[in-house]
Amino acid sequence: MQDMNLTSLFIELMARLGLNYEFLATGYEAQIWRDGFLTTLYLVAVTIPVSLIVGLIFAACLTSNRPWLSAPVRGFVELTRNTPTLVQLMFSFLVLNTVVSNMVGGAQNNPLSPFFWVVAVVGLHVAALHAEAIRGGIEAVPSSMIEAARGMGFSPFEIMRYVQIPLAFRSSLPAIVNGLISLVKSTTVGNAIAVSEITYASIMVWTQRDNVVELMIVLLAFFSLINFVVARVGSWVERRLAIPGYGL
Amino acid sequence: MSMTATQASKTTSKSSRVLRSIGFVAMPLLVIGWSLIDLSLGRELVEWIPYLASGFSMNILITICAVTLGTTAGVLLGLMQLAPYWFVRLPAQVYVQIFRNAPALVLIFATTYIFPFEVVLFGNYLPFPDWVKAVIGLAILSSAYIAEITRGAVLSIPTTQWEATKGLGFSRLQALRYVILPQCVRRSLPPWMNVASSMAMGTSLASLVGVHELMHAATDASTAVRRLDFTIIAYVVVMAAFFTLCYPIARLTRRLERRFNTG
Amino acid sequence: MSAKLTAKIVFGLALSITALSGTQASADSTLERIKGRGKLTVGLILSGAPFGFIDPKTQEQKGYNVDIAKALAADLGVELESVTVTPPNRVQFLQQGKVDILIANMQYTEERAKVLDYVPTPYDRAGGAAVVRKDSGLKDWADLKGKPVCISQGSNYAQPLAEEYGAIVKGLPSQPESLLALQGGNCVAAVHVGATVGLLLQDRADEWKDFAIPFPNELIPSDSVIWLRKGEADTQKALDESVKKLHASGKLLELAKANRLLNTKYLEEENKKLSAK
Repeated sequence: MQDMNLTSLFIELMARLGLNYEFLATGYEAQIWRDGFLTTLYLVAVTIPVSLIVGLIFAACLTSNRPWLSAPVRGFVELTRNTPTLVQLMFSFLVLNTVVSNMVGGAQNNPLSPFFWVVAVVGLHVAALHAEAIRGGIEAVPSSMIEAARGMGFSPFEIMRYVQIPLAFRSSLPAIVNGLISLVKSTTVGNAIAVSEITYASIMVWTQRDNVVELMIVLLAFFSLINFVVARVGSWVERRLAIPGYGL
Repeated sequence: MSMTATQASKTTSKSSRVLRSIGFVAMPLLVIGWSLIDLSLGRELVEWIPYLASGFSMNILITICAVTLGTTAGVLLGLMQLAPYWFVRLPAQVYVQIFRNAPALVLIFATTYIFPFEVVLFGNYLPFPDWVKAVIGLAILSSAYIAEITRGAVLSIPTTQWEATKGLGFSRLQALRYVILPQCVRRSLPPWMNVASSMAMGTSLASLVGVHELMHAATDASTAVRRLDFTIIAYVVVMAAFFTLCYPIARLTRRLERRFNTG
Repeated sequence: MSAKLTAKIVFGLALSITALSGTQASADSTLERIKGRGKLTVGLILSGAPFGFIDPKTQEQKGYNVDIAKALAADLGVELESVTVTPPNRVQFLQQGKVDILIANMQYTEERAKVLDYVPTPYDRAGGAAVVRKDSGLKDWADLKGKPVCISQGSNYAQPLAEEYGAIVKGLPSQPESLLALQGGNCVAAVHVGATVGLLLQDRADEWKDFAIPFPNELIPSDSVIWLRKGEADTQKALDESVKKLHASGKLLELAKANRLLNTKYLEEENKKLSAK
């Protein structure tokens, strides 16, 4: 009851400012909107580790000397980077998912949910961005350093493990953090296949209530908050790993 | 570049050269192949091609404007973030923090509804079309990204270089202009490319605010044709169009990147 | 550099200011402006035949909504300028003044009437129909309880489906995607405006032979009305007279038949009622 009063007080206050948050007092719309925040957070929490792990694997494949490893990954990276995530997602959900359904004998046996497809498509898309950043970092490691390591008797794997990856990771860190931020924002494409994240919930509300600006303010603040946390953690790692002698 | 690395990149580039060249035509070929297998679908598609093409030219226009605007603003903002004076640094930092965190979708919605649909200039009503608003929305986002990239690139230059320029009697700005920035260009090319292509693909979001671009055109087409396989092929066409636009850019940039690396 | 900063600050402020002045109507009367410019700007939605779609050959808009807009403009003695709108942007376009009126499949609801004004005489009555697989065994709206149901985002069927019938509502960007999701088995039913899906099943019988519209009645049948900005009484009055005239003369009925609307019962009744006067 207390909660109810707070809600109506908030609606009242906002209405004085000319903002229409009346939907908060309804059942269905307020419910999907509140759940939307949780779904977005959950989506982000699942997709970030997926993108980092796959990104590292992709980068390893891309810089390996084996064409059978690098060629398919290169093909995938090009495809995912050069087409809109929105279209990839629609295509995966509407076409690939139907193919999977037919293979397992009907939609009722298909374990893949829209949520899965968002994690897969966004995760792999951002993994491709990570992989390119790490690859760029590996190639930017000064050759003198690799030569020195070889001179000290390091094997190619050891050079990779102890010299190239640590340095590449540091120099590509800003790009990786940018990738993660775009990941957070990309989760909004989930709205296209009815994953009930916050943008979907907002669209469902604002198409009925016509209060786009009100919901936009909340959206902007919410994503700023998540990405503020991501950027903070990123710059904390950056500082922890900084090597004296580089940078200003 | 070490010996093994050079060799490695040589073998990889040889073996995947075929793959890369296929990349240019793979998606359009898929569309053509499908249209030939199902001729009635192909005929339907051919009828819609001019409409889809008019949509796609809008994507290209928005991309070019947004990236140009965003890069100019972004480089300036990135350098402002490194300025020795707080009153220059702080506004740039705040701007970058706010806008690089905003989803493109939200920014496009915001610019569409904030700016009027026409502006009064010397008593004349000039239309302020929606695609320009989409350009501004995407430019805001890309400038925040590019600011971060610029900052990261400058910071990745060893401190000794700054000290060396000081020793040579360069001012801070001169050092930036003649020593630091040229090196930064190389380091920031791959991430800049990421931004440029993600802006190109972000233009598809403009469909949601009613800009007549490819995605919008494809939805119009699927709505009018009312065939399920047409809806699917329309998506493949959209993908093919974006791929054909972004892939050559990606290739070109990688070529430049390689040239910078060996040079 | 400082001009740039100012621009940024202005942008930030602008966001909050527009938020505050969200529903401000323009100062001069819309009707005067329409007459002054000689142009009626209508926001139209392209939701598919029979209401609105693009003709690939001429790249022109066609459909019942488009024809109504043309008839209204003709009645006011002005030219028609049409703007394509989508569910997320249509009200903003109206309130910004980019369009004068909306003929955009927007049924009368109490919530909407708080924000916008409408022309009291409806131009059609429409409700939702559910397309389901013939072998699904679904007989009525109540059977949808706990089942995934596809709609297009912005449709006003979400709330009744979820609240009244307990369905799990899935909103896809537009009708083609929703129907594709239905065929892919991602939902058991797709609920759209009755006239569009009815015509679809009829026109493309082969592709849809496993599907039907089995429910006996339509979901929330309600009046389709023309929407305009709040507080524009004279525009409202002028348009209401035009709509009444179109009903009375049988023009609307004729347009509906030409565009193959399946159910013209409401229009026939209106025609009888108003032409009798």
